[in-house]
Amino acid sequence: MSLASSIRTIAVWEMNRSMTTMGRNVLPLAAGLLVLLVLVTAFAAQSGVHMQDGMYRIGIDDPDVARIVAPDSRFAAYLDSSQALWENRFAYDIVILNGEVYAADTDKGRAALKTLERDYESYVSRVAAGEPDLFAAYPLWIDLQYVKSEIDFLATQSGQQVGTPANARVPPTPSGPVEAVTLPPSAMPVSEDDLREHLAETGNDHPFKRYTGIVSGDSATDRFRTPSELSPPLPFDAIILVFVFIFPLYFTSQFFMMSVMNERVGRAGEALLSAPIQSTAIVVGKALPYFTIMILISAAITLVAGAPLTILLPLIPVILFFLANALIIGMAARSFKELSFVSIFFSTLATSYLFFPTVFANTHVISIISPLTLVVLEIQGDGFTVMQYLYSTVLFFATSIILFYAGITNFREERLFSEKPLTSRLADFVSGGIGRDHPHLSLFLLAGFTIPFVFMAQMLTLVLFFNIPMPLSLVLLTVSAAFIEEFAKSIGLYAAARERPGFLTPKNLLLGAIAIGLGFLAGEKLLLFATLAQITESIFGSILFLSLQVLWMPLLLHIAGVLITGGFLLLWGRQGYGPGLAVASVVHSLYNLHFLSGVLL
Amino acid sequence: MNARRIAIVAKKELSGLSSEKTIVFAILLQVFIAMFSSFLMVGLTAMYDPEAIEGYSTVTYGVGYAGADSALIDEFEKRDDLVLHRMDLDVALAALRDRAVAAVVYAPDTLPDAEEPVTITLYLIQNDLQSSVINVKVKEVLQGYEKELREVRADRMTSFPVGLNFPESGGGENFFEFVYGLLIPLLVLLPAIVSAALIIDLITEEYQRQTLETLISTPVTFAEMVWGKVAACEILVPVQAGAWLLLLGFNGIAVENAAAILLHASAGGLFLILLGALVALYYRERTSAQFIFSTALVVVFLLVMAVPYNPLNLMVRLAVGTAGPVHWLILALVAGATALLGWATTTYARRIGETAPPAR
Repeated sequence: MSLASSIRTIAVWEMNRSMTTMGRNVLPLAAGLLVLLVLVTAFAAQSGVHMQDGMYRIGIDDPDVARIVAPDSRFAAYLDSSQALWENRFAYDIVILNGEVYAADTDKGRAALKTLERDYESYVSRVAAGEPDLFAAYPLWIDLQYVKSEIDFLATQSGQQVGTPANARVPPTPSGPVEAVTLPPSAMPVSEDDLREHLAETGNDHPFKRYTGIVSGDSATDRFRTPSELSPPLPFDAIILVFVFIFPLYFTSQFFMMSVMNERVGRAGEALLSAPIQSTAIVVGKALPYFTIMILISAAITLVAGAPLTILLPLIPVILFFLANALIIGMAARSFKELSFVSIFFSTLATSYLFFPTVFANTHVISIISPLTLVVLEIQGDGFTVMQYLYSTVLFFATSIILFYAGITNFREERLFSEKPLTSRLADFVSGGIGRDHPHLSLFLLAGFTIPFVFMAQMLTLVLFFNIPMPLSLVLLTVSAAFIEEFAKSIGLYAAARERPGFLTPKNLLLGAIAIGLGFLAGEKLLLFATLAQITESIFGSILFLSLQVLWMPLLLHIAGVLITGGFLLLWGRQGYGPGLAVASVVHSLYNLHFLSGVLL
Repeated sequence: MNARRIAIVAKKELSGLSSEKTIVFAILLQVFIAMFSSFLMVGLTAMYDPEAIEGYSTVTYGVGYAGADSALIDEFEKRDDLVLHRMDLDVALAALRDRAVAAVVYAPDTLPDAEEPVTITLYLIQNDLQSSVINVKVKEVLQGYEKELREVRADRMTSFPVGLNFPESGGGENFFEFVYGLLIPLLVLLPAIVSAALIIDLITEEYQRQTLETLISTPVTFAEMVWGKVAACEILVPVQAGAWLLLLGFNGIAVENAAAILLHASAGGLFLILLGALVALYYRERTSAQFIFSTALVVVFLLVMAVPYNPLNLMVRLAVGTAGPVHWLILALVAGATALLGWATTTYARRIGETAPPAR
């Protein structure tokens, strides 16, 4: 059987099997639940969300005033005489006497006051909306226009933080060329009736309401607002994209994870493994249906949201990444509960990697390390270049391919059905990649393969730290980067020493260290020249990727780091691993800081 | 049913949890979340109530002003955190792109008492934290201007709102409503959901690994085995929820009636756990059970939220100290529903136990 046809066989088999185990029992109940869901949603939409009912007590002496807060269920209103209210004023968060508002001097009182002020605003709006002369009630309309401005790492480096402005007292002078702009017209381009309708729609705004319009976009009338309608632009609207696009993908990848796990439970996959099919065909064939489903789901969501289909392009590497991790987690987890916890942990990490950079979309070039930013750009109608696509997806592609490779080579009986704890299973997976005949070549390749993961981890730290005030961000970044690199370099050696205790001799350690150092450097170089030029030009880049300047210094550093960790392993066995890693990280950080002090001074 | 045997099963499950180090992952996860807590606090509050971000800003912002003279200039001069620079529109926009100013306002030459509205164009930097802050500040200025324009055009109005005089609120926004109205109930609910997912894992694992026969061959009955697992999961609910409340306390967020909140969480948690157990007993297979349970969870959650005086609302009221004794009644109702579900679980488990040995 050729590879392609056996992949097809496995894919069809996987589809049939998941349909039969899931289908017969689950579908009727799932359909029932879906009907219930629709009913409950309708009920909830009608009844409203009753989470914050009665948070605040408010005492009022006038029924007309009580009508102002009546629509807001957060207030539990008590009507009483002014005398009685004043005597019991400490029992209330707010007391309104003769049109004067008194709030308790507590956090709660202040929060209640803020809520009351907003309720009053919307009450005034309601009254004004009924006026026959709309432009007497709403004399002022705001046309909100957004301007794009993106800063890069050089700006953050010179002290400018994203979010804080330049000195405001100095009259500003633009540094770049001034483009001529046409002055906005003074007449209102939208008809009075349209505006009235728009006011009626947005009359009662709930905090969650703003999120519904993000994917669908705004109409022309929505551009014009009254001052009280002017709500701040959402700096975090990318979270909506996480919910809309990433969660369904993550949810589907769970089924793949479970399918892999099910092969291992009770040695169910034994027959499959003994069949004359390559493990490549098994893994790819099993993953293919889920990949197709995930693409279809994304396409459906895209079409429903009315977004361009090109946003599927940046989603493909994300899908692959989820599937690759699902494969590894499904192969490594020892029990169902471990599977649950590990996959929750992974999804939190992956979501933060995807989500945090997009916070800075349109603001800072760092945002481009997340493929989700490309989705944001595409939905805004800006599009992305091939170069940007490469920047943001290459790490996802590389890590997915490597993880799939690791999964395929380890998709064997002795790995799948062992009952070892999670960490030692992962170590087994790594040592599975180290050949007995050419251990040093394997170590060289392994070190090169860890580079995409190291970059990903370092990117995550960069995203977290880059906007912190300057010296602190550098120190944090230096130390964490050093630790991540030392850890990545040591895993090959650790796994080899664990599998074959006799392997770790002084001679082999030295050769291995050189192989790892070379491999690490080669991988780093290869990936760096392909991508990330914008980051490497900044000072943050020079911490993460010091090796750009001179060749032999970083090579020596990498080798020395492995030698330290390996030496500890050699002398004290596996107890020495932790301390060895710590010492190597310290040495690495000191080296980096030394170089940095040259940059800084 | 024998309480001692149930305790033995529960203890076995708990020690299994800690030996597998899955608890470590849960703790790591919480630490990971806590690492971002300041980011999350600012970020989530901003999502819940974008105007809250203004409270973080103590800096002065430059605003470009272009177009005709208007009373808006006087409104801007009343504020000390906004500095107005008069300039041409094209220069102002270039400066905005350079972030030399934070916003640009363009005023038309419409007269205040004109028939048509005054249409101000406001330029901001797209999708930016700073824009959110400046937006709130400019909004206040514009509202002042709107009030002034309304007074000029007042003779064209027919009805007037009831007047209220607000005290100076002092500006500074606080997290109160977000923390007490959303964060606390969700944090307390989270352990209940985790435990309910855990019971599915524990039960389906026995079926799929075919380890039930060994368990049933011991004096422990099937129902006792189920209840032991339920007990192990239930213990984790108040412990984790209590840990969250303690952590919040360390961060200066005092929660009133913590004991009552934990009681509500435990009762609701047990309800969800039993629901999970029933689903797991029915399907005996993790994928289906988790899928059905998570869908059912959404239905239950939506339904509960839509009902006034629901347990989550009561947790909010308890946390801020405005809950009356009515919460005991609701707690009794939830406990009753849970007892009903518990009875159903016992009967179902007994029936399965009698038809054992379970075959797949």
